[in-house]
Amino acid sequence: MSAPVAVSVEKLSKVWPDGIRALDDVSLEVREGEFLAVLGLSGSGKSTLLRCINRLIDPTEGKITIFGRDVTSAEGAGLRALRREAGMIFQQFNLVKRHSVRDNVLSGALGRTGTLRSLFLLFSDADRAEAQACLDRVGMGDRGDSRADALSGGQQQRVAIARALMQRPKLILADEPVASLDPALRNSVMRHVEALNREEGITVICSLHDLDLMKRYATRAVALREGKLVHEGKPEDFDLATLKSIYGQEAEFGFGEAS
Amino acid sequence: MRRVAPVPPSLPTRGLALSVDALLLATFLLMGEFLVRTLAFPVEEGALRTAQEILERLHYALLGGAGLLLAVLWHAAGRLLGGTPGLSFAGALPQSESEVPWDHTLRGWFTLLFVELTFFTGWLVTEVNLGTFFTNFDKAAGVIRGLLHPSGAVLFEGLILLIQTLFLAFMATAFAIPPAFLLAFAAARNLTRESPAAKLVYTALRTAMNLTRAVEPLVWALIFISWVGIGPFAGVLALWVHSVASLVKLYSEQIESIDRGPMDAIKATGAGTLQVLRYGVVPQVIPPFLSFTIYRWDINVRMSTIIGFVGGGGIGYILKPRVDLGEWGEVGTLVLLIAVAVWVMDLVSARIRERIV
Ligand SMILES: Nc1ncnc2c1ncn2[C@@H]1O[C@H](COP(=O)(O)OP(=O)(O)O)[C@@H](O)[C@H]1O
Ligand SMILES: [Mg+2]
Repeated sequence: MSAPVAVSVEKLSKVWPDGIRALDDVSLEVREGEFLAVLGLSGSGKSTLLRCINRLIDPTEGKITIFGRDVTSAEGAGLRALRREAGMIFQQFNLVKRHSVRDNVLSGALGRTGTLRSLFLLFSDADRAEAQACLDRVGMGDRGDSRADALSGGQQQRVAIARALMQRPKLILADEPVASLDPALRNSVMRHVEALNREEGITVICSLHDLDLMKRYATRAVALREGKLVHEGKPEDFDLATLKSIYGQEAEFGFGEAS
Repeated sequence: MRRVAPVPPSLPTRGLALSVDALLLATFLLMGEFLVRTLAFPVEEGALRTAQEILERLHYALLGGAGLLLAVLWHAAGRLLGGTPGLSFAGALPQSESEVPWDHTLRGWFTLLFVELTFFTGWLVTEVNLGTFFTNFDKAAGVIRGLLHPSGAVLFEGLILLIQTLFLAFMATAFAIPPAFLLAFAAARNLTRESPAAKLVYTALRTAMNLTRAVEPLVWALIFISWVGIGPFAGVLALWVHSVASLVKLYSEQIESIDRGPMDAIKATGAGTLQVLRYGVVPQVIPPFLSFTIYRWDINVRMSTIIGFVGGGGIGYILKPRVDLGEWGEVGTLVLLIAVAVWVMDLVSARIRERIV
């Protein structure tokens, strides 16, 4: 209990207009430097939880703070300042397809760039140098001029990581970052997320559905089931019995050497 | 997902359904009366049925009342006669009924009969006369012969005005782009969901644009002719108004169909609203916007030939008097010029749009 709290979620609930309770009284705390995996079946509320943390979704009830500042009540410029602290990585990469790789990374600096300049993609030389450094970090330094949609999925996700890094974030929210990638490529992307966590001390909250990946990268994990937090612990605590309680009795697990 | 038990339709829905049924049944009865009367007491061949005559003969009040009564009865009969067309229109049919094949329902047969009755009534109302169509061809032959022998007399003047027409269409389109581009964002439902004020702007804008589009460019031309005087500029303005309204519709529908993902990603960087639009929306819509705009120029070229008929400039301006005077050779020249221009525009615009998408 040494590191200060990075993200605190208190009694969070989200009810969609159609009555679906996507999150039900979820409370959790993430400390700085942790790599927290969020497990759960599809539809269990993982994306909803991550998107509440940077307020892409407005929660129905509850309170979220990141680095001690209240997200749930933030508005306007205050909310945008908080969003800058948290880089987000999506399952579908969500790059601007028609922009170059470099411009995509530069868009990570939008939060600190004047509106008028950014409307014409006029970024400073310092920003451009920083974008290049971010691209170098994910091994995409020579692809700055390619159009984003010319890249493979794994490359696109690495550019998305560079974009998040360009925000100079203290937190990374990764929503199933490797779920739409070939299994062979998953580690090549996860390693970059891990590097940001280990080398930069950036806190990571990452939803995953692959248990091997969770055991390999996470320092702690929580599990959601039908919007409720049903389990929390070290990766090695997730034994077969717990997993069945998360995923249901019918689930089958191919653990490889981890079993 | 949890299934919801079927709820009985709300009062406004019932009201809508009943009104639709009353209207349908009354129209049905009135068409029936019109048909019976016309067949029983045929008017002379070619004699126009004036609105006055039609009005005098039909029992509006009586049959309207009867329609309402029948509608009420049908609704009251409930399960016995099955759901009404109005309930179907209002989307309030019970699940069990909407699965029955149409020819097992009174509703289905009524609709079929209604369409057939409309066809026969339409035959009489529009004074369809196949006899004259097949026998009086020789009168048209003269016109067609003239059109097929274009006279060179108006060729030069026609060409100059054709070029004016193309510019007219181009200027109308060019002026339409900036306002349509800006308004489209406020007229896109997916960008205006957040606040009640934005929703209001959305609704107001959509309504205004629909009304603007409902008014024919010819009418806009008349308005602008009295504003800026006869000539091509009035034509530009008339097509401009119409183009803004259509482009806002096309653009905003395109915005509504974008992938939300990049928008969310840009939002997550802490970007402001304008930045989110610039990075998350604009790159996705630029190619289709260009395509729509070129298509619109194409349409404007067609329309601008007609605009001249009322004084809005372009080639139509010299076409109209020649039609009135029956100078078919010269009309032939002008029509040929227009046809070539439209044909070329069509090819060019299709080609460019192919390249963009
Ligand atoms: N925009 C939305 N509108 C309505 N329901 C939604 C929306 N997004 C997600 N949901 C519902 O919320 C529940 C949780 O979804 P989600 O958070 O996407 O789960 P996961 O990411 O774990 O697959 C699901 O039942 C889903 O259908
Ligand atoms: Mg999800």
